[in-house]
Amino acid sequence: MRNMTILVVDDDPVIRRMLEKRLEKEGYEVLIAEDGYQARKIIPQQHIDVVLTDLMMPGTIGGIEVLEIAKSISPNIEVILITAHSSVDTAVEAMKKGAADYLEKPINFDELFLRLEKIANVQSIMRNALDLSQAMDTTESAAAVTIQNLEIRTAVLQSRIESIISILRDEQTPPYERIYKVLDLLTDQNDFLT
Amino acid sequence: MLKISPDELKLVAQYIHDISGIYLEQSKSYLFETRLGSIATEHGCNTYKELYQKAKTEPSKIIERKIIDAISTNETLFFRDKGPFELLQHKLLPELIDARTPGSPALKTNLKIWSAASSTGQELYSIAIIINELIPNISKYTIKLLGTDISDGAVAQASRGKYNKFEMERGLPGDKLQRYFTMFGDSWTIKDEIRAMVQFRKLNLMLPFSGLGKFDIIFCRNVAIYFTLPDRQKLFNKIADSLADDGYLIIGSTESLTGICPRFIPKRHLRSIFYQKK
Repeated sequence: MRNMTILVVDDDPVIRRMLEKRLEKEGYEVLIAEDGYQARKIIPQQHIDVVLTDLMMPGTIGGIEVLEIAKSISPNIEVILITAHSSVDTAVEAMKKGAADYLEKPINFDELFLRLEKIANVQSIMRNALDLSQAMDTTESAAAVTIQNLEIRTAVLQSRIESIISILRDEQTPPYERIYKVLDLLTDQNDFLT
Repeated sequence: MLKISPDELKLVAQYIHDISGIYLEQSKSYLFETRLGSIATEHGCNTYKELYQKAKTEPSKIIERKIIDAISTNETLFFRDKGPFELLQHKLLPELIDARTPGSPALKTNLKIWSAASSTGQELYSIAIIINELIPNISKYTIKLLGTDISDGAVAQASRGKYNKFEMERGLPGDKLQRYFTMFGDSWTIKDEIRAMVQFRKLNLMLPFSGLGKFDIIFCRNVAIYFTLPDRQKLFNKIADSLADDGYLIIGSTESLTGICPRFIPKRHLRSIFYQKK
């Protein structure tokens, strides 16, 4: 099991069947759409890692439109286009719109599997990076609470020390009264609980 | 990977500190190797000493810039750590607007905000988005939003306002993404209305910056952590000079000014802390 779900979109039943068989044999989870319209229904409803779509299909939803639909649902869905040699230019245009890659017909399966492997690697690195950054966020917010409490507490203590100094220096007040005032300040725990 | 010797470590660490203020632990030799190794190879240097000499003497400063780009960390996100942005939206900006709005309606309200280590721009654009949402009659304001960073590469990317999907991955809520960005392929570009509100330029925080004038709010998050204690003290002292008397300073959520700058006093608002001058 390779842990990737691939949606195959092709109006040619022979190619569809062949892709489905070969991909399942490699251990991929395979979903099938017979044209762009079916693809448009399936993409929002299922978790899909890769869309493998024919570029030219009947109707108004071709490969480019499938690409746009997939990217609007989730930028993490990777799209590989299958093209006839003559439409390579369109495929290159599609890469600019965010397609991961394109394959020319007839499909070379070794090449296809290599590309899928690469996508799987990148996705696993991305997941790792996301896990790491989430772990970092957790550590950081826990540290932030501690540090911010210390920061406020230090400021409170600092201002209290300043008050104590000015009370002790106040020669207008009798010494014992100064000492009581200072003791009050030192024993008042309220501020420490903030 | 080209190995760095202990002598070279000392030399290169000192050089990096001189050009950027960034202090790298010499125990972390891998950091030097992973970040500078390819620059050395690219410029035909067989040792880090050679790279150092070349970078120092080369008049165009291209290598020096590459070294700064490589060692400055650009981990940053839109609305990274929600606290400061909630603080800005619910407390600092409303208070500031009250304080700054002139008596006569003919006069404009002036606001100046500085993102002192703006990296690739996400923080300043997040601030611009908040201002855009908070202030309906924006034509009655003169708002200056400045972002500065030591890295030319970061400043250039910030100015383009274009981000790939990895950079957009976290932090930005879907509605803001749709509203303030244009997607093309795998990249997002900030819309012109927000882009036009901000300005980015290169700045080394170790050098004097009083020429920038006084700011109402300064964001200086997660940059001083790369500086030595004396450098941090100098930096925040200069920041105090550049902050309006009733202005606000926001530092990183795990940073502290205790023992660094006695001119500031911390204040709490909900789960965030901000600083004001005493």
